[in-house]
Amino acid sequence: MFETLGERLNTALDGVRGSGNLTEDQVKKVTREIRLALLEADVNYGVVKEFVGKVRDRATGSEVSKALSPGQQVVKIVNEELAELMGGTSHKLTFASRPPTVVMLAGLNGHGKTTTAGKLALFARKLGKNPYLVACDTYRPAAIEQLQQIGRELNVPVYTEGTEPAPEDIAERGVKEAKADGYDFVIIDTAGRQVLDQDMMEELKRVRSLVKPHSVMLVLDVVTGQNAVEVAQAFQEYADFDGMVLTKLDGDARGGAALSVVSVTGRPVKFASEGEKMSEFDYFYPDRMAGRILGMGDVLTLIEKAEQQMDQQEAEAQGKKLMSGKFTFEDFLKQMQMIKKMGPLSSLMGMIPGLGKQLQNVQIDDRMLGRVEAMITSMTVAERRNPKLLQNPSRARRIARGSGATQQDVQKLVKQFGEMQKMMKQMGKGGGMPRIPGMPTR
Amino acid sequence: MARSWRNFFRRSKEPEQESGSNIATEEQELEPQEELESEVDAPVGEVVEEEIEDEEFTTPEDIPGPVEEALEPEPEEEIAEPEAVPEPVEEDPELEVAGEESGGWFGRLRHGLKRSRESVVGQLNAAVAEFRDAEDEEFWERVEEILIASDVGVTTTAKLVGELEQEALEKNISSSRELREMMVEHARRMLEGPVELDVSHAPTVILMVGVNGTGKTTSIGKLVKYLPGRVMLAAGDTFRAAAIEQLQKWGEATGAPVVSRERGSDAAAVTHEAVEEAKREGVDILLVDTAGRLHTKTNLMAELEKVKRVLERQLPGAPHEVLLTVDATTGQNGLRQAKMFGEAVGVTGIILTKLDGTARGGIALAIANEVGVPIKLISVGEKVGDLHPFDAGEFAQALFGEL
Repeated sequence: MFETLGERLNTALDGVRGSGNLTEDQVKKVTREIRLALLEADVNYGVVKEFVGKVRDRATGSEVSKALSPGQQVVKIVNEELAELMGGTSHKLTFASRPPTVVMLAGLNGHGKTTTAGKLALFARKLGKNPYLVACDTYRPAAIEQLQQIGRELNVPVYTEGTEPAPEDIAERGVKEAKADGYDFVIIDTAGRQVLDQDMMEELKRVRSLVKPHSVMLVLDVVTGQNAVEVAQAFQEYADFDGMVLTKLDGDARGGAALSVVSVTGRPVKFASEGEKMSEFDYFYPDRMAGRILGMGDVLTLIEKAEQQMDQQEAEAQGKKLMSGKFTFEDFLKQMQMIKKMGPLSSLMGMIPGLGKQLQNVQIDDRMLGRVEAMITSMTVAERRNPKLLQNPSRARRIARGSGATQQDVQKLVKQFGEMQKMMKQMGKGGGMPRIPGMPTR
Repeated sequence: MARSWRNFFRRSKEPEQESGSNIATEEQELEPQEELESEVDAPVGEVVEEEIEDEEFTTPEDIPGPVEEALEPEPEEEIAEPEAVPEPVEEDPELEVAGEESGGWFGRLRHGLKRSRESVVGQLNAAVAEFRDAEDEEFWERVEEILIASDVGVTTTAKLVGELEQEALEKNISSSRELREMMVEHARRMLEGPVELDVSHAPTVILMVGVNGTGKTTSIGKLVKYLPGRVMLAAGDTFRAAAIEQLQKWGEATGAPVVSRERGSDAAAVTHEAVEEAKREGVDILLVDTAGRLHTKTNLMAELEKVKRVLERQLPGAPHEVLLTVDATTGQNGLRQAKMFGEAVGVTGIILTKLDGTARGGIALAIANEVGVPIKLISVGEKVGDLHPFDAGEFAQALFGEL
């Protein structure tokens, strides 16, 4: 349904190759595509406007690099701006100089506060802290039981007073209790609320001013739409949060809301929560989010890596060879080694736009590359240059022995390689090959 | 202001022809289902075992029973029905009062939207008020922006604004009043779908599905109160901590019995047990809660398909309704949710939850236009009285009408 920004920009800038500056008209086309991509990613409309303005200024008159296509060039600018806006570095958990450290969680209904409370407790314990949970959601049926069950699972104590007392009183007494019992990391779980519910927002304010937590986290579901801005502003006003926990990141939402919130409140995303397991919780890495919002994996990282790792001329020569069908096992080995330098295959696949989604559930075994490499290095030079020789079973058997593979593995590799050669040759003739980032095209 | 609950429930079978065509569409829906199953099943090794488990549930004597039950006693009940008809009327005044307390859902929605001049609806109002000329490109761009800022999404916005612009030009519309009426009308047409809930079976099984935190259990709690006849709940969320307890609390509050097993048990097994229990007890409606799941998790979606399969085998025609809860604050991912759940379990309607005012719920337009699943219910706040049958006209009015 969504075209990636990278694809869109390439379409918009089709025909613009080589060096020179982007023209005004091109910049206009480009900014339109960026605007749409961000809107489809649920970035707030006002934020998009401002952001696109910035990109326009930078893109106008920016020099087109020789290594990147103009589309990639713009993507790079967008990515840099996004990363900057999201906050350059990841934020570490800080602790109060006089324990206990008190963290309060706040957010809309159903965004994952209670689950986050459990996850954060486990996370803190891994950092050597002794966590303690306080159940202040006195509204949703069984919310307290939920926290208690999570507490039992993690073996973290949960302070509760049932649903009768005021949440601020429960919170205050809970913190005292934690302190008395020697716990040094207290997490206060509050009820989910809607920001137009004045009473509920006031309640949050009371909890905050009575307990004076060291940190208030806004828990935000990554699927949140355009109203993220109003939500964040309200929570900033009433709870003055200092950071965000972005939840349900294991879904396929682009998560533009994160950008909206960071942009209007100036508060960073500190944690990323994905998955139903208590351990699926980590610091947030802003650079990863930029690619996600743009729907292009970490294409920029890939571009950068390719720029660093691939010798430009070598790559060009390889490209020509590939298309002519004269591609040999020797070339294949070279390419594989270049790819390996760029990082694990599984993460590389995630970086290729369009591929990420399809391969979400496919397990990529990095050892596979190693096995293929072992097989190729067991071949003689003659065999590498002329794979047809390998149709001879005794040669295949020798290679299998040398590389620790089975004879079938070797035969399979040879067969696949043959098919690949054929395919490449056809593409070379027909020219219908999708652009691969970092791969020169003419 | 709210659409009445009175005609919301289809309680008796439609005339011959209608029901015949119903079955046909159900069969059509089922076919792609089978294909999908085999696709999903193949790579997931586990599922093979599960298939065998399914067989256990479908003991041969189960099948003839429900078929007779579903087809034969039905017409009788149609005749016996009248005594039950006053029931919702009794309930209605109470509900009206609940609504009035908060100024009605529509009032609340409007209030929320009005709250800030910065709100997009405020902006839309301002823009529309200044409308003079359908040839004014900037005006349409402004409308586009505002729709997108309401989560309507780029594709549906383009379609809607395109239609509006064309009609405005053709009809030479130049007053903001006419334009507003046209906008409301177009949005209404886009949103309109079969709203009523089919509760005509004995028992009727309603399956609740959705992503985590969208409000399935809460919606069940609210819905119980309005459903005609005796209702039973099935605690099919055996995964999340205290989900069973949450449903049990709703059961206590509403007096509906809850069928549950301990946490961690097989959701399909709980469902199976609940259907047996519902048949034994002769309840009218069985509401099946399920665990929240992201539509991207293949294994969890396969589990949901299994729950549905078990229901189908146990009680032909069931589940009679599959309701998907969608959080109104959701952005464009709502489309993916509707599509993926639709493909997996054939969603018959959507409950749009947490429609409180900051959330414009424009995703409803996008879903109606791009996925084609009708919105059946909306939930505005946290009280039981905040659940309402969806009214396309009023929703459109709330989105585009004058404040």
